[in-house]
Amino acid sequence: MLAYALRRLLSALATLLGVLTLVFLLLSATPGDPAVLAARSSGGRPASPEALAAFRRLHGLDRPLPVQYVTWAARALRLDLGRSFQDGREVRERLAAALPATLYLNGCALLLAMLAAVPCGISAARRPGGRFDRVSGAVFDLLFATPSFVLGLLLLLVFSVKLRVTPLFSDPALGPLGVVLPVATLGLGAVALMSRFVRASVRTALDDPAALAARARGESGGAAVRRALRRSAGAFSALAAVLVPSLVTGSVLVERLFSWPGAGRLLADGVFARDVPVVLGLTLVAGCAVVVASLAGDLVSAWLDPRLRDVGLLGERP
Amino acid sequence: MTARRTLGALLLVVALAACGQKGKHAESVIHRRLEGEPKTLNALLATTDPENVVLALLERNLLEYDEKLDLVPGLAETVEVSSDHRTYTVRLRPDLRWEDGRPVTSADVVCTIRTLVDPKTPALSRKSYWDGLERVDAVDERTARAVFREPYAGRIQAFNLPLLPAAAYQGTDVNTNPRNRAPLANGPYRLGRWEAGRTLELVRNTQYSGERPGPEMILFRVVPENSAAFQALLSGELHEMRVTYEQKTRLEADASVAARPLIFDELGYTYLAWKNDHPLFASPKVRRALTMLIDREAIARTLYGGLARPASGPIPPGLWPYDPSVAPWPHDPKQAAALLDEAGFRPGPDGVRRRGSDRFAFTLLLGAGSDLQRQITEVVQQSFRAAGIDMAIRPMEWAAFASKVDAGDFEAAILAISLDPNPDLAVYWHSSQRAPNGWNTSGYRNPKADALMDRLRTTFGRDEARGLYAELLRILHEDEPVTFLHNVRSRWGLSKRLEEVRTSPIGLFLFWPGGSAWRLGTGTAPL
Repeated sequence: MLAYALRRLLSALATLLGVLTLVFLLLSATPGDPAVLAARSSGGRPASPEALAAFRRLHGLDRPLPVQYVTWAARALRLDLGRSFQDGREVRERLAAALPATLYLNGCALLLAMLAAVPCGISAARRPGGRFDRVSGAVFDLLFATPSFVLGLLLLLVFSVKLRVTPLFSDPALGPLGVVLPVATLGLGAVALMSRFVRASVRTALDDPAALAARARGESGGAAVRRALRRSAGAFSALAAVLVPSLVTGSVLVERLFSWPGAGRLLADGVFARDVPVVLGLTLVAGCAVVVASLAGDLVSAWLDPRLRDVGLLGERP
Repeated sequence: MTARRTLGALLLVVALAACGQKGKHAESVIHRRLEGEPKTLNALLATTDPENVVLALLERNLLEYDEKLDLVPGLAETVEVSSDHRTYTVRLRPDLRWEDGRPVTSADVVCTIRTLVDPKTPALSRKSYWDGLERVDAVDERTARAVFREPYAGRIQAFNLPLLPAAAYQGTDVNTNPRNRAPLANGPYRLGRWEAGRTLELVRNTQYSGERPGPEMILFRVVPENSAAFQALLSGELHEMRVTYEQKTRLEADASVAARPLIFDELGYTYLAWKNDHPLFASPKVRRALTMLIDREAIARTLYGGLARPASGPIPPGLWPYDPSVAPWPHDPKQAAALLDEAGFRPGPDGVRRRGSDRFAFTLLLGAGSDLQRQITEVVQQSFRAAGIDMAIRPMEWAAFASKVDAGDFEAAILAISLDPNPDLAVYWHSSQRAPNGWNTSGYRNPKADALMDRLRTTFGRDEARGLYAELLRILHEDEPVTFLHNVRSRWGLSKRLEEVRTSPIGLFLFWPGGSAWRLGTGTAPL
């Protein structure tokens, strides 16, 4: 199990390094000089070459790309993520300000989605083709196909503008009503995905010959579902691993719509302004979340299924 | 029964008190929209609209633009210019204070200007005015003197300059100074609270010696999404925002909503940039023909809802050198065809014009994000197609688009420009400023125009300058280096309760008194 965990950790770190390098190269290769973009945002009289040079010098943009990257990576190892091109603040400080809001928003949405999706998925799986399965399937397909931005705007128009039961500007300080719309917007999309996933996993487990044999031995329906849930735990942990990164950057459009000051908005602003330190910082955080989540998912799967852990450090099987 | 009546009366009193408090609170707070969060509140480093509109209430400038764009005293009582136009002597008002009670002195002026010209300071929107500064010194407590190496006619506009407090900035790194997010104000308001990403509360600055502003507080709310902001405007939760054409129409059509539209002229124009050294666009005749193929009146009527007019050149009507005798080129496809024939571009077998091996086919770059610009380019594309010109449209992500345009790496592009009150055209049209070295992105070059722009840099009398501008504008009109499309009117939605709202060609806020004069009334007074 330890060798398995080590192997997964090493591969995850290599993936993280690869992703960071790729993001840096993509941002650098994309046309758009951060200095000129900052100057263009000012309107009025254009910036002088001296001002642009000062901007580039300040942020190290006058140095060769490999030097920029190595400098950033060396600092990142000391947990110094550099300074934002947009406002000169430390990226660490900007992340610390934005991440809690996003984690709160996406965490609530994920929780809501799980609470709704698991019972819905199980009910649909127990009677495939039944009325609940058909109706919930149609509703979830519709929700899944609706862009989150459109769904959010609809909710905003109905509950904030027409009925006036929720505030137009979301704010956790206003209590549950202050967050319900962005949480619902994100959560409803996730419910659709998770519910269909739960239904498929439970159905597969219920159709398994072992489950059939158990039923033949007189196992009750509830026990069969519990057994099916246990058998699907590996798949659920894999799904959770996939969803965790969205906790960090999965709400760009919803944050914009609801004026939510989170990491999604930070990421979008960073990409448009070619703010390399901010984008790399967020990539690092999201990457670490992926690494930890997928590692946890794999370890849970390996714990549930001992066949998965019988591999050596280099992946060899006994 | 008595107990029930008493309870009822109590509830009524509480409800009335609550209403009264709410009313009082609402009276004294103006709710304004920011499209994005300010990155900094350091007045030298600020570049974006959200930063500038907040700073306009916190910091006064040495000289201010009034609503007609004349420079009037601000923090400075006077700015005297020497006869050789190289020395500027700033005399501060006697009663100025920072919000912490310290006086505003010449040390602040010197510190600000020295910080601004420091090579380490990326003051993107202000540095160019201070090129060629020889020295700046304090003469006495209230007087500072700046000496420049060469005279420049537009220099006085450099003194539309906010100050940094020397006590906070002297000897520090301006880029990381903590005051950049907690500025010391010398204007009518000071920063009360800044909730990152959500709101900025500005409260009255008790140290301010000028006229006391009406509202107790200006509450700026960061609302990036336009549709959400508009709903807030309709319901009265926001008191101002820039609106789209559709939103302006909605405000006009529905008298029951809490807001009304405000339309006024702003400095700027939209244009189609042609790469002047491209074989297709090298001839002024061709460029004029392209302009004459476009029905700009129809575009103004249909796509802008009448809130634009064809532009005649690079000086919009709000700037003093504007010459109304220069009329925009008319929409005249026949004349355009004749000009293209004269330039040697004749219809080819595939219907597209050719001159030798040059087929009149090119790509126009379009920055993503503006539906209106996309619609305009589609109308232009149809007009060109009918005249035998094959124009492809290539939408691009905005940053990539800007990068290509600034590098001069394009054949044609659609752009919009908003100008500051300095009419100096050399920045955009002098051959020394051709991309990628400057902002003459079309690569226009005409020695006569260069000579006139050079003379204008050192022509200080407005009458003499007006004559030179007239000559320059006629040359630019004949050469038509780009197709000047439209001077577009600015559209705002304002709460019906806002009073004392004045406009200027540089918008609602960046002149004096701008937003600091706004009051909240009952909603019945006209704007």
